[in-house]
Amino acid sequence: MFLRTAGSIFVPSGDNAAGTLEFCGDDLLSIHVASPADAQALAEQLRASGAWREVVPGIDSVVVQFDAAAVTINIASQRVADELAQGIVATKRSDVLFEIPVVYGGDFGPDLEEVCEQTGLTAKELIALHTAHEYSVDLVGFTPGFVYVGGLEDVLHVPRRKQPRQHVEAGSVGIADGRTGLYALPGPGGWPLIGRTTFKLFDPHAEEPFPVRAGMRIRFVSVSAAEAGL
Amino acid sequence: MSFTVLEPGLQTTIQASARNGMRHLGVPASGAADPLSLAIANRLLGNDLLAPALEVTLVGPVLGFDASFALAATGGLAKVTLNGEPIEFHQTVLVNPGDELAIGSVEVGMRVYIAFAGGLQANDVLGSVSTYLPAALGGHKGRALVKDDVLRTQRESRLTDSLHTPEGFRPPITSRWTVRACRSAETHLLQEKQRDALVDTHWTIGRRADRMGMQLDGPALKISSDGRMPSAAVFPGTVQCPEDGSPFILSVDAGTTGGYPRIAQVARMDRHLLGQMRPGDHVRFLPREPQEAIAELHAKHDYWRKWLPGIERVI
Repeated sequence: MFLRTAGSIFVPSGDNAAGTLEFCGDDLLSIHVASPADAQALAEQLRASGAWREVVPGIDSVVVQFDAAAVTINIASQRVADELAQGIVATKRSDVLFEIPVVYGGDFGPDLEEVCEQTGLTAKELIALHTAHEYSVDLVGFTPGFVYVGGLEDVLHVPRRKQPRQHVEAGSVGIADGRTGLYALPGPGGWPLIGRTTFKLFDPHAEEPFPVRAGMRIRFVSVSAAEAGL
Repeated sequence: MSFTVLEPGLQTTIQASARNGMRHLGVPASGAADPLSLAIANRLLGNDLLAPALEVTLVGPVLGFDASFALAATGGLAKVTLNGEPIEFHQTVLVNPGDELAIGSVEVGMRVYIAFAGGLQANDVLGSVSTYLPAALGGHKGRALVKDDVLRTQRESRLTDSLHTPEGFRPPITSRWTVRACRSAETHLLQEKQRDALVDTHWTIGRRADRMGMQLDGPALKISSDGRMPSAAVFPGTVQCPEDGSPFILSVDAGTTGGYPRIAQVARMDRHLLGQMRPGDHVRFLPREPQEAIAELHAKHDYWRKWLPGIERVI
């Protein structure tokens, strides 16, 4: 019965070892995939069909929401299985590179010291590591313009906070589970915060409200509060 | 043809349909937290079921009218007066220039809906006029109403029929809730006894309760989680449980992805109830397989269709 069984309802045939399909609600199906790039590519493919209310990629999954008033579970599941049978065609890597100025530590990065304790790094070392190379955007989600940037060095892999903060300032830069998260908006948040940026990640009135998209490249640049205008 | 906000209330916003199809960009649903009550209020005025209306939270506003309007109130139980005289919920009300409508404190439930014939004017942003406060989207200037705001309807607010909601179509407002729920993607991180605790506990809605979500107070659930779950999609009605074992239910303004284990999902048919739960209320989860929940959704639609044709757009 409920909550006593959990897991897949079926695994589609084919060599895609990921691709496990399971319910996560009465109108939600989750598909497990191998990578953020696969999640983005599969989500694009599913969205193109126009058959779903929502198609939401995660780091290693895509969840589709179907209209349970109009479509049966079997039809919804079959549509996903058919798409998986077509294979996931990876999208091309983006050439767009954004430089994101970050004020590290202090009031702008209230968890920097704790992250240093967890990782055994000095603040200077941590900042040097974080700004050392280019990253790519794995995912946009959470709140409008929130960006998940992948590829954090192993030493910087720290867990989320045990309890989320009720309020995180807009522009906050957090790290958790191998990624950097950029909070476009103020609100609750569970990532340890190491700094803050003034880069505008979401502008509803701009021609392109979401300038940063999955697949684009990011470089972090350490700046002072004065330089950032904070 | 306008009315003025004389007192704004605690958090009064314009809400209508959800902002659909944009969760992959991090844009939450928004829209009425209790869309069924919104739809009933609009139905009483001959509006589209999801026409823009006022969503009142806990403490209501006082409105002063410069013209004649037809309006209706539904949702949480509160004292509503017109020029000091009480008016009934669930019926059309005519107001005249110079009249004052005062919505008092919500005593049972969390939110009252005040709809106006013609529907309110509001800003369409990213496909919906519903207010999303964190990003200042939609509604009236993207924010909750403040004193001296002036609001207008989309067309002359004229009443064609005087209606009241029939018996049997007034959703019960209570402080003890039961919602159907299905398993979600990380339910397996709860061991069997913990899954039992999830469905057996009378959870209390915590003090953190807003349009984003509601904390559930009760026994701490033991969950096999190390805080490193890859972020994945979440929806209104998703129940998440961080490592500290205190679950929370997401509501209409919740973020679109999250990294805390998803231990249950409130079924579609009962998500509208979340909008009336207030701190201190009790809630229980009624376990359902997805097929069962969908069958009950169809039955609920069949019932409500008699008074609200188009109900499947609402719940």
